[in-house]
Amino acid sequence: MRWGMVVDLSKCVRCYACLAACRIEHFLPIGMSWPRLVALETGVDNPEVSTYSVRCNQCQNPPCVDVCPTGATYQREDGIVAIDQDKCVGCRYCVIACPYQNRTFLSKDKDKGFFPGKVETDFEKAGKELYSHQLGTTEKCNFCAERIDAGLAKGLKPGVDREATPACVNTCPARALTFGDLDDPDSEVSRLIREKNAFQLHPEYDTDPSVYFIDSKIGYTDTPPADDKEKRAPVASGAES
Amino acid sequence: MQIHEWMVGYTRQTEWIDRRGIFLWIAFYAGGLGGGLYLVSLYFNSLWGLFISWLIITVIKGGTHLIFLGKPLRFWRIITRPHASWLARGFVFVMLFIGFGAIQLILSYWLPGTAAETAFKVLAGIMAFGITLYTGIILMNVKGVPFWNSALLPILFIACGILGGFGLAVVIALNGGDVDLHTAETGSRWLLVINALLIIIYLWRASLREAVGKQSVLEQIHGHSAPIFWIGIVLLGIVIPLVIAIAGIIMDVPSALLVSGVACEIIGGLALRYCVLKAGAYKPLVAKAS
Repeated sequence: MRWGMVVDLSKCVRCYACLAACRIEHFLPIGMSWPRLVALETGVDNPEVSTYSVRCNQCQNPPCVDVCPTGATYQREDGIVAIDQDKCVGCRYCVIACPYQNRTFLSKDKDKGFFPGKVETDFEKAGKELYSHQLGTTEKCNFCAERIDAGLAKGLKPGVDREATPACVNTCPARALTFGDLDDPDSEVSRLIREKNAFQLHPEYDTDPSVYFIDSKIGYTDTPPADDKEKRAPVASGAES
Repeated sequence: MQIHEWMVGYTRQTEWIDRRGIFLWIAFYAGGLGGGLYLVSLYFNSLWGLFISWLIITVIKGGTHLIFLGKPLRFWRIITRPHASWLARGFVFVMLFIGFGAIQLILSYWLPGTAAETAFKVLAGIMAFGITLYTGIILMNVKGVPFWNSALLPILFIACGILGGFGLAVVIALNGGDVDLHTAETGSRWLLVINALLIIIYLWRASLREAVGKQSVLEQIHGHSAPIFWIGIVLLGIVIPLVIAIAGIIMDVPSALLVSGVACEIIGGLALRYCVLKAGAYKPLVAKAS
């Protein structure tokens, strides 16, 4: 089992709902966002704004795990790269080592509060009890591992049953995000990767990200997908050309 | 909400140089300088040099690195995983150096010439070499920053540390310490030339390492880091010390000028680490399609 996500960039409407859902789900401090939207112009004559919804790629060969000096960052059996906040010393080597820059060091200036020095909202109070964040440690997207674990314990299927699916995927109104098991050839994510030539970002790093992208313009290739194992191999990259 | 434009262009790393990252910059340089001085002091068998290098690593290197950590009280967790990470290995080098170095200093002071003193000199020397080495390897292994992906980087940092060590050895000799001034000056001269060559080769090789590597080099030479590169590394770190060193061959140079040259070398070493950390840039996350 290896959890993965497919982001269909042609469907993304840049509504930021995924960012909001993640903030609510994990009570994220105001200065930090696990997913991010990267907007860029494509085309010269008729430029269009394209958007990348990016988050931790949950790489299968994660450089962040390799460099972590305490074992705070580790890889679960289902492929999710998780962080044990109680072990993190805040050395930021993982932040530096992530070639996708998807990790955030939670410093004081990123956790000033929604209304600094005035009022602590009920949301913030609830967050301290339900999903506390430790200043001086590193954080990132965890594919809503707590939802997946709770859902699996109830016999639900992540990516199919909403209760076991990441919050950003549930909330996306354009259905640009799809979640599922990459090791299951019949899953929706595997089908999309196979049929729509999904690609990973910077495959040259040999990190094997679990987040794939579909786009009609950027990174698209007419190369037909190869068979079997090669079907999931990157067919194009977001690397500089 | 603001649209994030970041990561579609070259993005400079900030965590290890901006804000509290300044402490890491100092820690990295102090480690190289302290380790280099220890190795040089072993060569001269200078107790003063050994003691000063131990202080530099224990107080400045160890202290600033601890201040940099987000959770400094958990530092002990780092030394539990030397098999996994070069950062952990570096911490182990530092901790062992502090221990071995302290025992060696005690033995050198009270029981000089014993086999135990020699053994601890060797052990502390190995740790000192590890301290000068590991910061370069840490940076070299970062896949996303092509500017750092060079085996030359650890060599450059070692050479820079030993250069600083020879410089401080000159100061010890001028203050009546147990160092031969002529040998220390000769070592400084050679290391200055080697450092200058290594910097040129490193930048040349980095400029050929993908577009972002070239961008990092251009940033150093023409960009925001240019004043630090040209004044700090080139003028203070190489040209002035080299002029003083060459002058020392043909005439008697006043002590004050020699000390000034050493101060310039140290500023140059600091500037070199600063520029290397500051110019480290990531590839764009996504390509701008034409």
